Amino acid sequence: MTPHQERTGPGAVPAQAAFLPAPEGTKKAVTDFLKTLMDQGGLDALLVPVEVPDTPFHAWVMVKKSEVLDKAHPLPPVMSVQGGRALSSLTKHGTPWLHIAAVMRPCEARAAVELAKLKQVRLDNVVLITIDCPGALPLAEYVADPEKGQERYKTVADTWHENEFLRPACARCHRFSLTGLEDGPSEGPAPDDAPASVDIHIGLLGEDQNGILLLPVTPSGAEILKKTGLEADRPTAGWESRVRDLLKKKKEKRQAAHEEFRKDITGLDRFLTVFDPCINCHNCMNVCPVCYCQQCYFDTQTQFCTSSVYMDRARKRGALRFPPDPLLFHLGRMSHMVLSCVSCGACEDACPVSIPVGKVFSWVADETQPAFGYSAGTDRGDPLPLQNFLKEEFCEIETPSACGQAQSTEVKENA
Amino acid sequence: MTQEFKPNLVGYLCNWCSYAGADLAGATKLEIKPTLSVVRVMCSSRVNSNLVLTALAWGADGVLIAGCHPGDCHYEQGNYYARRRFALLKKILESLDLEADRIQLSWISAAEGKRYADIVNDFAEKISRRGPSPLRNHSKI
Repeated sequence: MTPHQERTGPGAVPAQAAFLPAPEGTKKAVTDFLKTLMDQGGLDALLVPVEVPDTPFHAWVMVKKSEVLDKAHPLPPVMSVQGGRALSSLTKHGTPWLHIAAVMRPCEARAAVELAKLKQVRLDNVVLITIDCPGALPLAEYVADPEKGQERYKTVADTWHENEFLRPACARCHRFSLTGLEDGPSEGPAPDDAPASVDIHIGLLGEDQNGILLLPVTPSGAEILKKTGLEADRPTAGWESRVRDLLKKKKEKRQAAHEEFRKDITGLDRFLTVFDPCINCHNCMNVCPVCYCQQCYFDTQTQFCTSSVYMDRARKRGALRFPPDPLLFHLGRMSHMVLSCVSCGACEDACPVSIPVGKVFSWVADETQPAFGYSAGTDRGDPLPLQNFLKEEFCEIETPSACGQAQSTEVKENA
Repeated sequence: MTQEFKPNLVGYLCNWCSYAGADLAGATKLEIKPTLSVVRVMCSSRVNSNLVLTALAWGADGVLIAGCHPGDCHYEQGNYYARRRFALLKKILESLDLEADRIQLSWISAAEGKRYADIVNDFAEKISRRGPSPLRNHSKI
C-alpha cells in the first residue's frame, strides 16, 4: 500500500501553487522541476517524452537517471505517440512496482484516465502530471521539414494565441489546461468536489511569465510537491483567470468550427463524400488511444462473406464496391469508442489521405457525451456510460415512448 | 409507387421475451406484416451496433431491436445496457443525420403477442411511408 492509491481526491483548482522561476525560459524550468521531482519527490522514475539523439523527434522514455531529463520535455512539437497509449504499454499488465510519474499533455492524460476505466492502464502507482498545452503541429508537415517545424513551434509556444501552424484538433481544443476546469463554473473558485483526473498541473499561463506554477491538484500531488521542498505560496487566481479567458475564446472557436462543419458532414451523401478517399488502412484506429481492442472486429475475417453472398448483393444492387462497406468501419468504430474520445487528433495526424477524421469524431463526441452526462477523461470516479445505467432514462428513444412515467434517480453502478 | 413499396425489415428479438411474444402472436393467429426478418438473439444487449449498421448497410430499410421490459430481463440488467447502447447509436445517427428513424427499440414481453403484432405492423407501416433506404442502392456503398 502506498499513500498514492487514493486517486479521486478533491479536484478544486488549488488556491495556491508553488512557483519556480524561469530565468532561462519555461522549458528549462519544466526540466528543472522534473529533475527535482526525481531527486526529491520520492519517485523512482518518470515517463516523459525525451529527445531522440541526433533526430528532431521525441520518444516516450521511462527515465531513471535525472541527467537524461535534460533532454526531456512534455511538450514536443508533434504528438507522435499518444501518451495514453505509451502509459498503457507500460502498465497494462499490472501495477508498476516502481512509483512513477507520467508527464503529459492534458489530452494524453485524459486518454490515460479513459484507458484506466477500460482496464488498459493502471494508475495505482502512477502520478499523473499535466501541463498547459499550446498545441502541436501536424505530424506530416513536421516530418517533411523538421527545421521549419521547430522554428514554427517556437512561435506557437511563445504566443499562445491562435496560430495558423497548429493542428486543426489543437486550434479548436478547449481542454488545453487543468482537466475539469472547462466544465467548472466560469467565475469564482471551483467547488471542492470538482472532478479531478490529474495529480499535479504545471501552469505556464501565470501572470508572472518568468516562471512556472506547480498546482497540487490532489492530496497525493500536494504531498509530492511538499517533498520537493517547493512551497505552495503563490495565488493561482491570476493563472485561472488567464486560462478561463483563453478557454472562453477557444470554446467559441470550437463551437463555430463545429457549426460550420455540420453543413459539410450531415446527411448520407455528405458523410460518404467526406470518407470517400478512405484507403481502408485503419491507421486512425491503430493510433487512437482509446481504441484498445486486441483484435478489432474490422480487422477480423468474420465480417467477410463467401463470394456468392457478394454476387447476390451485387446482382440486387447492380454494383458493389470492394472491399465492401467502407462506411461500416467508421460508423462502427465511432459507435464503439466515441464516448471515450478525448479529441486528441491522433487519428487525423495518421490519416494518409487527409480525411478530417478527428474533426468528425470530436464533433460527434461533443454531440453524444453530454447526452450521457459524461466528459471523457475528466473524472476518474465517473463510470463509462456504457458500463452503467439508470433504471429510468432515455424514455424518448423507446417505441412506444415510456416518457411521462415517474422518474427515479436510482443509480446502478457496475464496478 | 410508395403504395407498392414493401420494406425490408430486420428484427433482433430477445430469446426470452420478444421472440416468445412473436411466437405467441403467431400461435394466436394475429395478422402480422410479413416484411420483418427475425433474428433471434439471447439478449437485446447482445445486439452490437455493428449488427444494426451492417443490416442497414446491406440494404435493410429498418431495424427493430426488441427485448424484455425494463426490470424483467432474464439476465437482470441486459436490457438496461441495451437501451444505453441503442441510445448512443441513435444519437450518433441523429447527429450525422443518417436515417436515425429507421432504427427502433421496443419492449415486448412473452405474454404480449398483441403488442408484438401492433409494434411490427406499426413499424412496417412507418417505414413503408418513409420509403426505401437510400443506403440500399447508394453508388458509394
